[in-house]
Amino acid sequence: MNALNKSKLWANLKSKYSIYMVLLALFLVSWLANENFVSGENLKNISTQISVGTILAFGQTILIISGMLDLSSASVLALAGVLSVSAYKMTGSLVIAFLVAILVGVLCNVLNGLMVTKFKAPPFIATLAMMTMARGAALMYTNGQNIYQIGDYVVFGQGRILGLPAPIIFMIGLLVLTWYLLKHTVFGRSVYAIGGNEEAANASGINVNKVKMRAFIINGIFVGIAGVLFMSRINGGMPNGAIGYEFKALTAAVIGGTSFTGGIGTASGTLAGAFIVGFLDNIMVLIGVNSYLQQIVRGAIIALAVIYDIWAKTKKTKLKLGNVESK
Amino acid sequence: MKKWLVITLIVTLVAVLVAGCSQPATEQAAAPAAEQKDVYRVAYIARAQADSFAAWMANAVIEEAAKYDNIKLEVFDGQASDDTENSLIENAITNKYDVIIVQPNNGEAQRPYVERAVAAGIKVITTNARISGIPGSSSVDADPYVQAKVNADLAVSQIPQNANVVVLMGPPGNFHADARRESWQKEFFEKRPDVKIVGEEIANWNKDEAMNYMETWVQANDKIDAIIAMNDNMAAGAIEVVKDNPNYKGILSYGVDGTAEATLLIQQGLMTSTSLQSAYDLATALLDTANKLVTGVEKEINMDINSPIITKDNVEQYIEMHKRAGAIK
Repeated sequence: MNALNKSKLWANLKSKYSIYMVLLALFLVSWLANENFVSGENLKNISTQISVGTILAFGQTILIISGMLDLSSASVLALAGVLSVSAYKMTGSLVIAFLVAILVGVLCNVLNGLMVTKFKAPPFIATLAMMTMARGAALMYTNGQNIYQIGDYVVFGQGRILGLPAPIIFMIGLLVLTWYLLKHTVFGRSVYAIGGNEEAANASGINVNKVKMRAFIINGIFVGIAGVLFMSRINGGMPNGAIGYEFKALTAAVIGGTSFTGGIGTASGTLAGAFIVGFLDNIMVLIGVNSYLQQIVRGAIIALAVIYDIWAKTKKTKLKLGNVESK
Repeated sequence: MKKWLVITLIVTLVAVLVAGCSQPATEQAAAPAAEQKDVYRVAYIARAQADSFAAWMANAVIEEAAKYDNIKLEVFDGQASDDTENSLIENAITNKYDVIIVQPNNGEAQRPYVERAVAAGIKVITTNARISGIPGSSSVDADPYVQAKVNADLAVSQIPQNANVVVLMGPPGNFHADARRESWQKEFFEKRPDVKIVGEEIANWNKDEAMNYMETWVQANDKIDAIIAMNDNMAAGAIEVVKDNPNYKGILSYGVDGTAEATLLIQQGLMTSTSLQSAYDLATALLDTANKLVTGVEKEINMDINSPIITKDNVEQYIEMHKRAGAIK
C-alpha cells in the first residue's frame, strides 16, 4: 500500500468515525483527570443517567433523518409516566402500567403525525403544540402534585437485568432496534430517502405520509418507555419531570452526526453523542469544576465536537470529489 | 419682564401637569377603601403551576378562598416566566381587581409592575417570596434564612467531627435558594470549620438532577456523612441513590419544605430533618390579609409564617396533615 492510499484510508476512517474518535479522546482525557472515572460503577452510573435522554434521542434520530423533529417528547414522557404510575397504583399490574405508558406515547404521536401528514403542519409547530398540551394534561391530571409511594414500580428504573441497571438494558435494546429499523428494513431506507429528498422519494413510489406516521408511532413507543424509566428511577410520578429533556435528546442526535437537513444520521452516532455529553457532565463533577464554569465548558466542547465532525466529513466529501475528478 | 413671564407660565404649566397626573392616582388609591362591596375580586398570580410547591400553594389558596363569602378568587399561571407574570399583573390592573396576590417568579422583575398596581390603588400582597420595600403593598412569606437555620442548628450537633458533606443548591439568583444557602454558611459551616464540602452543585430544586450528582459523588468519595439540600426534592433525590447502600446507612440529610415525600422519608428513618413551609399556613394568612385590607381593618400587613422543624419525633402530625390534604393516600 503506497503512502497516498494510506493517507486516503486514514482520511476515510477519520471522517466515518470522527465522532467516535472525539468520544475516545474525551474518555482518555477524563481517565487521566480522575481515576474514579473508569471504575465499573461510575461507567454504569453514566450509562444509567443518559439512558432516558438517549432513548428519546433514538426516536428523534429517526424523525430528524426523515426531515422532522419532536419538541413534545419530554412533555409526552411526563404525561405517559404519570398516567402509567397512576395505572400501577390503581391495578398493581406492572404490565398494564407499562402498556399504558406506551399507549399514551403512541396516541400523542399519532396526533403529531396527523397534524404533520393530514394538515401539513410543520413538525416544529405541530410538536410544539403537543408539548404544551401534554404538559398541561399531566399537570391537570395530577393537580400539579407529585405521586408518591409507587412501590414495585421502581423495578423498571432501579432494577437490574443480567447484573446491569435495567435502564441500560432498555437503552441497548432500543439502540439495536433503531439500528435494525434504519439499516435493514424498507421503512429505514424510506426514512433516509424522504429526508434526503421528499419529492424524489414520493416520485419513486414511497408513501411519504405512511412512513412519516410510522416514524411518529415508533417515536411514541420510545417516549412511553422513557416515561416509565424516568418515573421509576426517581421513585415518583412527577408531572413537571424531565423538563428540557427534548433538548438533551436533540443535542445527542445532532452531536452524533444526525443532520437537521435530513437524510443523514445513525443510531450508534446518537449513542456516541449522548455519551460525549454524559462523560463531560460526569468528569466535571468528579474533578469539582465550578457549577457556572461547567455550563461554559459543556457548551464549548459540544461546539468543538460538532465542528470537528463537520470538518472531518467535509474532508471526506472533498476526497470523494477528488477521486471522481481523477477518474 | 417677558422672560420672567415665560418662566412663570412654564413653571405653572408643569405644576398643573404634575398635579393633574398624580391626583387621579391618589383619588383611585383612596377609592377602594371607602367603597364597601358585597364581593371583592382577588387575582392570585402563581409563579408556575408546574412547580409542585406553587401548585400546592395555589390549591391551598383556592380551598381557603372558598371559606370567604365576600371574596371571589381567580388563579393565573405565571408559567415560570417573568414576561408572562408581568403581563398577568398588567391585565389584573386593567381588569380592576380589588386585590392582586403575586407569587413572584423573580422579585426584581415583578417589582415595577407591583409598584404600578399599588399606584393604581389596588391592594397588592406579595408572597413566597415577598418583594420588600414597596410602600403600600403587603406581604406574607416564610423566612428562608430561618427555614435553613432550624436545620443547620440541628446539624451543628449531629454531624460528626471532620465530616464530608455534599451540598445541593437551588437556582442561582432565586431569593429562597440564596438565602437558605447563606443561612447554612453562617449557621453551620462557619461554626463547624472541621466539616469539608466534597461536592456542591446546582440541582435547580430537581430530584433527577440531584440523583445524578449524588451518584457521581458516591464514586468520587470514600465517605459522605451528610447531605445538605436547599429543598426536600433534592434531598430525596440524593437519598434515593444511597438508601439501599449499606456503606451509607445512617447518612444524615437535611431539606426544606416539609413535602409529603420528605415526611415519609423521615418516618422511615432515611431523612434527618426538614422545616415546614406550609402552603396551608401561607394560604390562610394570605386570605386573612386580603380580607383585612379590602374591609379596611388594616392598610398594610407584612408577616412571616412559622418554619417548624420536622424530625422523627414529630413527623406523624405532618404525615396526618398531608393525608388530610390528599397528598399521602
